[in-house]
Order: sequence, then structure tokens, then C-alpha cells
Amino acid sequence: MSESARPRLRTLARAWFDVGTQSVGGGASTLVMIRRVFVDKHHWLTHRDVSEGWSFTQLSPGIHLVALCGTFGLRIAGRRGLLVSVASMMVPAALITAVLAALYERVAALPAASAALAGAGPVAGGMSAGVGVAMMWSIHRHGRRALVDGLLVLVALAASLLLHVDTVSIIVISAVVGALFLGRERPTTRDAPMS
Amino acid sequence: MELLGLFAIFLKSSALAVGGLASLPLVHQDLVVPGIATDPQVVEALAIGRLSPGPNGLYLVSLGYEIAGWAGAAAATLAVSLPPLLIIPATALARRWLISAWFGGLVRGVTLGSAGLLLATGLQIAAPGLGAGMAVRIAWWQAALAVLAVVETLRGKLHPALLVALGIVAGNALVLLGF
Repeated sequence: MSESARPRLRTLARAWFDVGTQSVGGGASTLVMIRRVFVDKHHWLTHRDVSEGWSFTQLSPGIHLVALCGTFGLRIAGRRGLLVSVASMMVPAALITAVLAALYERVAALPAASAALAGAGPVAGGMSAGVGVAMMWSIHRHGRRALVDGLLVLVALAASLLLHVDTVSIIVISAVVGALFLGRERPTTRDAPMS
Repeated sequence: MELLGLFAIFLKSSALAVGGLASLPLVHQDLVVPGIATDPQVVEALAIGRLSPGPNGLYLVSLGYEIAGWAGAAAATLAVSLPPLLIIPATALARRWLISAWFGGLVRGVTLGSAGLLLATGLQIAAPGLGAGMAVRIAWWQAALAVLAVVETLRGKLHPALLVALGIVAGNALVLLGF
């Protein structure tokens, strides 16, 4: 193993700090950044490692970028690498978020803040709905199967919005339907070539 | 609300979601429906989450702060950091399962179901009252902002923070003008 493959924890922490504070949303642009820092600059991983790690962590619960960070941290520098990586990515970004929330609290009672909310509400709602559409777009299949996938999205939407079915029940039913009927092909996303 | 209870709700919503923002419908059900948080607080948290750097799922840190201060923010940070790491032992112990057809189908099913849930929650946030048997309260300019946000999120060209800033400016301008 070359010298560059045994990075000091500080360099690793700095790399994840950069990803955590400079990435937007954790999509394709984040993947490009990780390739540049981890493969091209530090040679800690190969492009193949990154592709494979990205594919597997798309299967994780919660924030996929945390799963990727932990996976690569462990691979590069063991358990301490995992802890240092996840903490360096999450704590500074979370701190900035909490400080912004604290600053907002000070102005929340002003009329300008409630007027701001009248505009921020539709934007926040639209962005969330947009992420929903993007999630469907990233994973749907083609041809007739695309109709089946779209139908599942619509059924979940209607069950929640119109029938007020419990959220966990909808997720569990979707999982069972998926495992039984949607598993003929591997999941593919545009950002996750299965190589 | 007890801190441990709040931590448990954040942990559950993160563990049952595939992707950072997919926790939103679960959080909405567990915090807004019982009255622990309000819809405006969720909007504030989402907006602050997009104004600050880091993954989408960090909006929960802002929500945690609004409900329980710095301790709530810390609880949220820990709660969103733990569930994704489950994939590490899973890839080590059960790699075969993860690449099996049924598991691929399960993840596809959860992702599609969560996409529908996220659409429902997004629509409810953009147009409060929708689906709740109440009058839908949304002005024409708010509907236009929501449509713009959907389109720009899909195109991915505009920085999300700019979209939120645009909403804030538009809100102030139009409310002052009396719309």
C-alpha cells in the first residue's frame, strides 16, 4: 500500500468537510466532487470503488451521502476513519443549519418574516414535490413497466392525500409489492452505473 | 416534548426513508399531526435546510432546533447520521442479498411509494388544506412559485438557496402590495 493510501485522519476530515459544506443536495454534482478529491487528488479509491460504493449506498436508509461517507471512511482508514469522516461531513453542516435556525428565531416575530413564509411555503412545497418526481424518475423502468411504476406512485399519493392511510403502512406495503413484483431488474439510476 | 421521544421520531423517520428528504412525510405524520410542530415550522425548517449547505436531510436539524433548541438540533444530527450506516454491515454480511432481484424490487417499491408520499406532503405544504377536507388556501402567485420550484428542482440548474431567496423576496413584495 502506497503512502497516499494511508492518509492522515486530518486530511480525510478536511476532504469530507469540503463535501459536507460545498455539496448541494447530494446528487450528481456531489459524485463528481468525490471523484475529484478521493480518486484524482488523493488516490485513496479507484473510480470503480466509487461507482460500486455509490450503487450500494443508494440502497441505504436515510441520507445516502452519510452511507457513502461511512463506507469510504471505513475503507480508507478503518473505524476511526469512519467516525472522523461522518463527523467531519455532518457536524459543521448541521452547525451552520442550527445557527441559521437560531438567527431566524430572532426575526420570526417580524411581519417581514411571515410575509417571507408566504413565499417560502410554496417554494419549499414545490421543491419537496420536485424531489418526489426526481426520485420516481431516477428509478422507473421503461416501456409497459414504467406504467406499473407510475401507478405505484399515484396509488401512494392518493392513499396518503385522499384516504389518509398511515405513512408507515404505505411504505411497508410498497416494500412488499416491490419485493414480490418489481424485482426482475436491478434498480438503475442515472447516477449509479452498476459497474 | 421529551428529547428522547423527539430523537426516536427523527430516528424512525430517517430509518424508514430511502433518501434524505423522504423522511418528510413520516416527520409530518409524527410531529405535525399530533401538534408537536406546526406546518409553518416545517416550511421554515425546509427553507433553512436549503439555505444552508449539506445534504437535503439536514432540514431535520433546523426542525429539531425549533422544537427543542440546541439539544433538539444535536438529537436530529445524531438521528440522521446513524441509520444510513446500517448499509456497511449489510454490504459486508449480506452482499448477495443486496444484489438479489427481490431486494432490488423492495428498494424500488419503497422509493416509488416514498416518491408518492413526498408528492402528497409537498402539495400539502404548498397548498395548506389540500386533502384535509378544508378550503385550499393558495394565491395565484404562490401556485406559480410552487410550479417554478418543481421545474427548477427537476432541471437542477438553479441553486436551491436562490429559489428559497426568490420565494422570500416575492412573499414580501406581494404581501406589501396587498395581494
